[in-house]
Amino acid sequence: MSGAKQGSQVGQAPPPAAVQVSETLRRELEAFLFLEARLADESRYAEWEALVTDDMHYWVPRGPADHDPAERLAYINDNRARLATRIRQLSTGHRWAQTPPSPMRRILGNIEVLEARDEAGPYTVAANFVLFEVAAQSTGELRTWPGRATYRLRRSDGRLRMAQKIVELVTSQLPQSSMAFLL
Amino acid sequence: MRYDYAALVQDGRVHGSLYVDPGVFHEEMERIFRRGWVFVGHESELPAPGDWVTRRVGLQPYLLTRDLDGGLHLLANRCAHRGTALCREERGNARHFQCIFHGWTFGLDGTLLGVTYPGGLERSKEALALDRAGQIDTYRGFIFANPAGGAGPLAEHLGPGGRYLIDRMCNLAPSGRIRLGPNWIGQRVDSNWKLWPESDNDGYHLNFLHVSLFRANRESQYNETMLAGETGHSSKAVDHGRGHFELDLKDSYPHELAWCNATPERLPDYRRAMVAAHGEARAHQLLLDGPPHGMIFPNLFLGEINVAMVEPIAPGVCAQYHTAMQLEGAGEAVNRRLLRLSEAAMGPASFLLADDAAAAERQQYGFGASRADLSDGGAAHTWVDLSRGQRREQVAADGVRVSLLSDETTNRGFWRHYRSVMEAGA
Repeated sequence: MSGAKQGSQVGQAPPPAAVQVSETLRRELEAFLFLEARLADESRYAEWEALVTDDMHYWVPRGPADHDPAERLAYINDNRARLATRIRQLSTGHRWAQTPPSPMRRILGNIEVLEARDEAGPYTVAANFVLFEVAAQSTGELRTWPGRATYRLRRSDGRLRMAQKIVELVTSQLPQSSMAFLL
Repeated sequence: MRYDYAALVQDGRVHGSLYVDPGVFHEEMERIFRRGWVFVGHESELPAPGDWVTRRVGLQPYLLTRDLDGGLHLLANRCAHRGTALCREERGNARHFQCIFHGWTFGLDGTLLGVTYPGGLERSKEALALDRAGQIDTYRGFIFANPAGGAGPLAEHLGPGGRYLIDRMCNLAPSGRIRLGPNWIGQRVDSNWKLWPESDNDGYHLNFLHVSLFRANRESQYNETMLAGETGHSSKAVDHGRGHFELDLKDSYPHELAWCNATPERLPDYRRAMVAAHGEARAHQLLLDGPPHGMIFPNLFLGEINVAMVEPIAPGVCAQYHTAMQLEGAGEAVNRRLLRLSEAAMGPASFLLADDAAAAERQQYGFGASRADLSDGGAAHTWVDLSRGQRREQVAADGVRVSLLSDETTNRGFWRHYRSVMEAGA
């Protein structure tokens, strides 16, 4: 895509092949993904927010993530300040699109480490997912959200943190139901 | 059955079955979306000869095309032979359309150009052109079509109110022209389509349905709208007639560019271009007043910096597609800003419309399965009350109704026109 900014953390096509990392590192990265997924599933907003860096970018594009997000409209394109607003809004208890919060569970699979500069990071990890959601606050029906998530992770004070999450929904070209939860 | 729209749509209340009954929905697709004027796109989506986009209008699939002479056409996206959809992509550029099934080709104006193995063709090629909207016309780049033809001139449908809403948006561009943003974002809602014209222009709900945004973000362009009580707003609810109405927010903006949560100091190039185009006094007024927040019947919502269209899908399902307005000649800084503001306000994950969808889906849930049959006197439950502020509405000599922001003047404007269209179609 000609509009992609080279060298920026957003908008780059991920490297095609997985890289070899130690089994210990792989387990650590997977454990982070599973924790992030569980906190999102359980709408534990503050704990989820504690996983992100000060320059977190949270991006849910329409269509593939093959362009500079600044150039098009996305479902979600949060810089850190906007993500903080999102979390504050959810935490008010009056975010009606998530009040009551949707019961959710997601399954991660096909986890690949796509980039690991060295064992200390930073890392790019990708996974396929299927998220099951009951829209308890509106229709009361089951909604299914299949897609692929790409995470940029790095260490801060020795702990893994998420600097970017890109969510490419399989259905992203279609009109989407409310996704006020953490995807 | 024959529906008694005069009984179902009363002044100040409408029957809930109108959001649910499949027979009503079917009649709407015919009377509103086939026999009436409908927004179908914007000229900036089709800049070059041969450009086309796919659209759905009243459940029917269409191709909106620009022919090699620059003319616009709304063609059935359906081969005239056996009904196969010609295009399943969203947009493209072509010299002709070829059906995948038997290879028939059609021109950008729907003419049947070629039939494979033509010796066996029993009908004239003229009889086998693509179905084409009877009327298509534009106003300042906004394209409207009337599939059936015979709806009268577009200018009459828009009237002064519809033209004013479009003018107010276009006049914010130094060139007087807007473009649509680079893509649409679709929001699916499990509610009847009519709840969107209602909700998009409801001035009453802001402090309740959207209270979480106010609590999360105390500085925004909606401060006055959110903070004031029942009578404290300078904004107004306005019904322009013909099904066009607005929440006029202009008097709530404290300074230039407040409508895009900015100041003139932050967007100096844009201000300079506006002054060069319009002169200081007019530029100041335009930048102070900002864009419209209003609806053009039946499906075009000019939501401040957003352009949105509502698409009916089934009685209990619709989609709203939105994009940002882009101001020609205003420079990249302001146009990028508009994309980011649009992402914040509109769409399924946004700070505002996600909550509107929750309300609409709960309304639809609440309506249940009532039928548009008042033989029981309509006693069974579902009347929707829209009478708020009816007695304090001011009616001007030209018929325009103005009331407090929180009054349901806009919603009554929708339904008044709806009733006249649905009754006239009987």
